[in-house]
Formats: sequence, structure tokens, C-alpha cells
Amino acid sequence: MSDLPRKRYPWRRRLLIAVLILAVIFAGIYWYIATEKFADTKDRKAAYTVSAIEFMREFEENDSAANAKYADRIVTVNGRVSAIEAPDTTLNVKFINPATGSYVIFDFQQQHQAEARTVKVGDSISIKGSCSGGIFSEILETTAITFKRSTLNK
Amino acid sequence: MKKTLLILSLVMATGNLFAQKKITTSATVKFDASTPIDDLPKAENKTVIASLNTSTGAVAFEAAVKNFAFTNPMIQDHFNGEKWMNSDKHPTFTYKGNITNLSAVNFAKDGAYKVNTEGVLTVRGVEQKIATPVTIVVKEGAITAATNFSIKLADFGITGAPIDGGKIAKEPKISVSAELK
Repeated sequence: MSDLPRKRYPWRRRLLIAVLILAVIFAGIYWYIATEKFADTKDRKAAYTVSAIEFMREFEENDSAANAKYADRIVTVNGRVSAIEAPDTTLNVKFINPATGSYVIFDFQQQHQAEARTVKVGDSISIKGSCSGGIFSEILETTAITFKRSTLNK
Repeated sequence: MKKTLLILSLVMATGNLFAQKKITTSATVKFDASTPIDDLPKAENKTVIASLNTSTGAVAFEAAVKNFAFTNPMIQDHFNGEKWMNSDKHPTFTYKGNITNLSAVNFAKDGAYKVNTEGVLTVRGVEQKIATPVTIVVKEGAITAATNFSIKLADFGITGAPIDGGKIAKEPKISVSAELK
């Protein structure tokens, strides 16, 4: 007698199990996305590899097109270090176009900051990072292109 | 001779003016909208442009919105998205203001000084007046400025279910530090 409802509505039990399985799958996907962290930039493939001066020239000539092309992408930039700035406990590396004053500045991913400290002004290096695009700075009256989560590219 | 003296005076005056404007391209701005429910909505931008005119007390900041680095990709996408900062349309946060009690600081003498600033913060194209105290430290010619304040997201037209649901703070904390040279 006690098995009667189960025999009468077997689809209900199956539906309940299916809903529970889906709920667990969606919870797992949400948990994965919500707790995901950015991958190590060293392990990511660059969408573009450019020379610093050419890169800056692209932004100077047409910043809309350059932003559409490079922003939110991993880019490797090759150039000679013009300046090193040290905010807080970390440091930023800059390539500056001496002709225009435009610059590219790189903030390093935490695990690569120690390596970045070995860089000196005048070094020819290759840096890979997440390009945040360029803005025209009203303060400096020049183009500033910023990168985050960068790493030295060897 | 008079002309030479005039030109020399102008050159010296111009040089002096430039020396009064202290600049950095590596100021840090931290944004913390975390809540007891969600620890993820916080980020920092270490490539903020800042300037301080030690003669007039004029202060200015420019931060590229897209260079705020979050640990979580989904939160960073939401932050830059249309409903939040809409960084494609409004690529910078800016602040323009002044030190209102400039006489309280002596930029020629090492020390820590408390000053007050008033100015306009522009986020997402919306301008809001803000007033905040700033600590200025002068040490061997270098000037460090630091401040903490909070903003109301609703004042900048930022609303939504995650804020109402307590996943994002209604009044995120902002901290700014800059070493100006």
C-alpha cells in the first residue's frame, strides 16, 4: 500500500531528481565562475606582439581604432625601459615616446613583482600584460596606455 | 641688455612654475565595495595620473577605469559593463579640486600635515562635489598624499539588484595614495 503513490506518479520522482541534478550543476557552475581567479599572464597567449613606439603611434593616430583592437586583450610589448616608478610596495615600468610624451605603463601581477624589480632603466625588454587601452590625459596632455597583471616575457 | 634680462626672468619664472606642479603616473586608487555576503567586489588601480600644484593647491586625478584590477574575471566584467561604470563610454574617473587650507602645509619643510580638499569627482560621466581630509607627508623633497573616503553609488546613477541584495556595498570605500615628484 505504501508504494502506491510512487507507482501512480513515477514521473514526479524522476522530475524531482532531474531538478535536483540541474540545481547541483548550476550551483557548481556559479561557484566556479564566482570564485574563479585570473590566470597567470605568463601562461596566456598574446593576441598581439608589438614594438612600444609603433604601439604608441597607433594610439596617437587613432585611439578609437587602437582601443577597439587592443583593449581587454593580452598584448606583448617590446621596448626600452624609459622609467620605473614605485607606488606602495610594487613597481610600474614605463616605455615613453620621447617625441610625443606618450607612454605605456605596466602594473605587474603579484607573483611577478619580484622578477620585475630586476628591470633597470635602459634595458630592452619584452612585457606581456592585459591591455586596458589608452586615454588622453588632460593633466599631462598626452596619451597614456595602461596595462594590468603584467609579467616579463622571456 | 634689458631684453636679455627680461627673457632670463621669463625662463626662470616658467621653470619655477613647472617646479610647483608635482606629478605622478603611478598613484594608487583602491575601490572596496565588498560586503559580509561577498568579498570579491574590490580592486585597485596602480597607474593613476595625479598632480598637485604646491603654489595654488590645485589637485587633479585621472584613472583609467579599465585598469582597475579585480581578482575575479566576472566581477571585473560587471564593473566595466554598461549598467556599472560603462567604461567603453566613460573611460576615466577624474577628480579636480583644491586644498582649502593651503597655509596648513609647508612643502619646504619635512613633516606630516592634515589638509582639507574640495572638488568634483566624475564617475560614469556624473559629477559630484566631494570634500575630504588628506594627509600630506613631506620628506626630503618628496610629497606623499593619502586619503580615504566613501561615495554613494546611487549619487552616480549606479543601482541594481546586487546592490539591493547586499552583494555590493551601497557606499564603497575609496583610498588614494600618491607619491608626487
